[in-house]
Amino acid sequence: MRVYVCVKHVPDTAANIKVVGGSGFDESVKFIVNPYDEYAIGEASQLVKKEGGEVVIVTLGKASAMTTVRAALAIGGDRGILIKTDKQFVESDETALILKKAIEDDGGADMIFAGKQAADSEGMQTCYRLAANLGMPVATEVVGFSYAGGKVVVEREIGGGEREVIEMTAPCVVGATKGLNEVRYPKLPDIMKAKKKPVNEIDAGSLKVDAAGLVELVALEQVPERSNAKMLEGSVTEAVDTLVKLLRDEAKVLE
Amino acid sequence: MADQKDSKNDFQHYFGKEHDLVRKSVRELVQKEILPNIDEWEEKATFPKKLYKMAGELGLLGVGYPEELGGTPGDIFLKIVVGEELMRSTSGGLVAGLGSIDIAIPPIIRKGTEEQKERFVRPVIAGDRIAALGITEPGGGSDVANLKTTAVKKGDHYLVNGSKTFITSGVRADQITCAVRTGSENAHGISLLVIESGTPGYSTSPPMKKTGWWASDTAELYFDNLKVPVSNLIGEENQGFYYIMENFQSERLQLCIMANMTARIALEQAMKYATEREAFGKPLSGFQVTRHKLAEMATQVEVSQEFTYRVAAKMNAGINQIKEISMAKNFACQVSDRVTFDAVQIFGGAGYVRESVVERLYRDNRILSIGGGTTEIMKEIISKLM
Ligand SMILES: Cc1cc2nc3c(=O)[nH]c(=O)nc-3n(C[C@H](O)[C@H](O)[C@H](O)COP(=O)(O)OP(=O)(O)OC[C@H]3O[C@@H](n4cnc5c(N)ncnc54)[C@H](O)[C@@H]3O)c2cc1C
Ligand SMILES: Cc1cc2nc3c(=O)[nH]c(=O)nc-3n(C[C@H](O)[C@H](O)[C@H](O)COP(=O)(O)OP(=O)(O)OC[C@H]3O[C@@H](n4cnc5c(N)ncnc54)[C@H](O)[C@@H]3O)c2cc1C
Repeated sequence: MRVYVCVKHVPDTAANIKVVGGSGFDESVKFIVNPYDEYAIGEASQLVKKEGGEVVIVTLGKASAMTTVRAALAIGGDRGILIKTDKQFVESDETALILKKAIEDDGGADMIFAGKQAADSEGMQTCYRLAANLGMPVATEVVGFSYAGGKVVVEREIGGGEREVIEMTAPCVVGATKGLNEVRYPKLPDIMKAKKKPVNEIDAGSLKVDAAGLVELVALEQVPERSNAKMLEGSVTEAVDTLVKLLRDEAKVLE
Repeated sequence: MADQKDSKNDFQHYFGKEHDLVRKSVRELVQKEILPNIDEWEEKATFPKKLYKMAGELGLLGVGYPEELGGTPGDIFLKIVVGEELMRSTSGGLVAGLGSIDIAIPPIIRKGTEEQKERFVRPVIAGDRIAALGITEPGGGSDVANLKTTAVKKGDHYLVNGSKTFITSGVRADQITCAVRTGSENAHGISLLVIESGTPGYSTSPPMKKTGWWASDTAELYFDNLKVPVSNLIGEENQGFYYIMENFQSERLQLCIMANMTARIALEQAMKYATEREAFGKPLSGFQVTRHKLAEMATQVEVSQEFTYRVAAKMNAGINQIKEISMAKNFACQVSDRVTFDAVQIFGGAGYVRESVVERLYRDNRILSIGGGTTEIMKEIISKLM
């Protein structure tokens, strides 16, 4: 089977992001494979190991995202597709259309994995939009996955420690989250071999995708420094009393 | 807006994306499998044998060795990355133990037959067998040309008699790349044999009790009429001395890395402690004398590391660096002597007890200017090449 994994090139979650030019940020920080996508790669690799076939890493990003494609290929995957764009911010609807076109042009998917969300924009939209564009079922925040004879069974966290079990027919889109598998550190030979795996570079423009342009990034702002958290002591009643007092007198959000 | 470059740092062309990824992998192994246990292993003066297998599976033991033998070829900086990250275990002994492969197998790879490589290299890279290097004898280590262990050829085998001492991984080793006398009483009469620990007449001492490197099993080896097949001879008879000398360059580079990392970790620990610990109503870092000490330590560490990298880059390019690597080793060891001493000083009493990492670094550091050729021997080499 041909399994695609959508991998986003994102700034290191530990990086100090500097806003420049109002709606952009300084890209000289370290970039990494979007952390949730690592679980997606792991699951895709296990699936192909069992069912046979190939894992294809698909990334939409600037030319510099090649480092992330290679890093993803070190974790798993047989080949890559890098769809190049000059934009720093591509909205989810356009991303999903471009990914769809690139996957179809490449031969079409028997399964698609992605991360449940990107650690930078945190849109949580790409999985749904991609599945809708392709007319496939979708489940995200997936922590358990199994595949047998064209049937996919996933488990997803629904809060309160409960899990929902969903059955879907393949091909479908699965949005991975932490816990789906244990991310193994890539083996050193695999890291070195990733350099030699084929990566097809295409220009986003050549895909002739016409996005509606529904979303525009107007401004990026630094999150204001958070003031220190206050722990409220005492019984529940006392804590609530203190909280109300604080909200009224200090935060002035209550009359 | 600056575009992201392929290598993470424009000023350090030594390390690229692959190096970063390898670093991350080794770091995770160290953080998950080693750091939580290292204090216990150090106290017990050992580490589990299964760590060799884990390191082999990760591909860590095979870095720099041919793919045909299960290795992962790469430049010299790939090896440096692995060495640096393993040192993050804060245990020089563990690194020396896992690392005895790197002093034991290169002569077999360079000079051995295909059959020898299959038997004595592949399983070591996989972590299934432990390899050690046996040069030093009770009679002397610096004067390699004068070694006394004899190997007398009798038909299809050598009869080996003698002993070796201070052999890293000596207790657990399955095979020793061993220097023996096969000819004249000088440098031209030495050969390298692979001696297997199962050979009748082979025995070892218990682990030697040492100042540092506790996790490493150092031993004396005794050879009592060992019959070692002639097919275990590495390369040509009586050429062993030159093979040993060739081997020393990479060992010295690894020792530079160990010294630089010992110093760097001691510095980091001291910096952290200096901001946390208070005396006379302010943090230690509030005293200029402490800040200046830390500044001096940092300067030394930085200079030593950069010089080591520079020498490594030249070695990588195939330029003879026998003199320079000897200089780098001495310099790095001087720096780590001083920096570990100062780090303990900044810790005060806490630096003298086993709860602190600097206490171990201080002890582990001491061997670095003795093993792989002493400071004095390095100076002999340097002065001859000046
Ligand atoms: C923990 C540990 C692990 C080791 N692991 C190994 C191993 O795996 N394999 C192995 O083969 N060996 C190993 N060694 C041995 C190590 O390589 C030797 O200890 C070292 O080479 C010095 O030899 P020596 O101890 O016999 O000292 P000696 O050679 O006796 O030297 C004693 C002193 O005399 C000085 N000296 C000697 N010759 C000269 C000279 N020409 N000019 C000026 N000064 C001189 C030396 O510098 C030193 O200060 C290990 C040692 C230790 C402590
Ligand atoms: C030949 C020459 C060329 C120069 N070129 C330039 C130039 O091109 N551009 C420029 O801007 N300047 C230049 N300088 C000035 C130079 O940078 C200063 O001399 C230097 O920074 C020291 O400052 P200072 O002379 O005021 O000495 P001071 O600050 O009075 O220091 C005197 C002594 O006290 C030490 N000291 C100072 N503060 C501390 C402290 N907090 N803790 C411990 N010790 C301390 C100093 O290290 C020194 O040993 C030059 C100086 C010389 C002599």
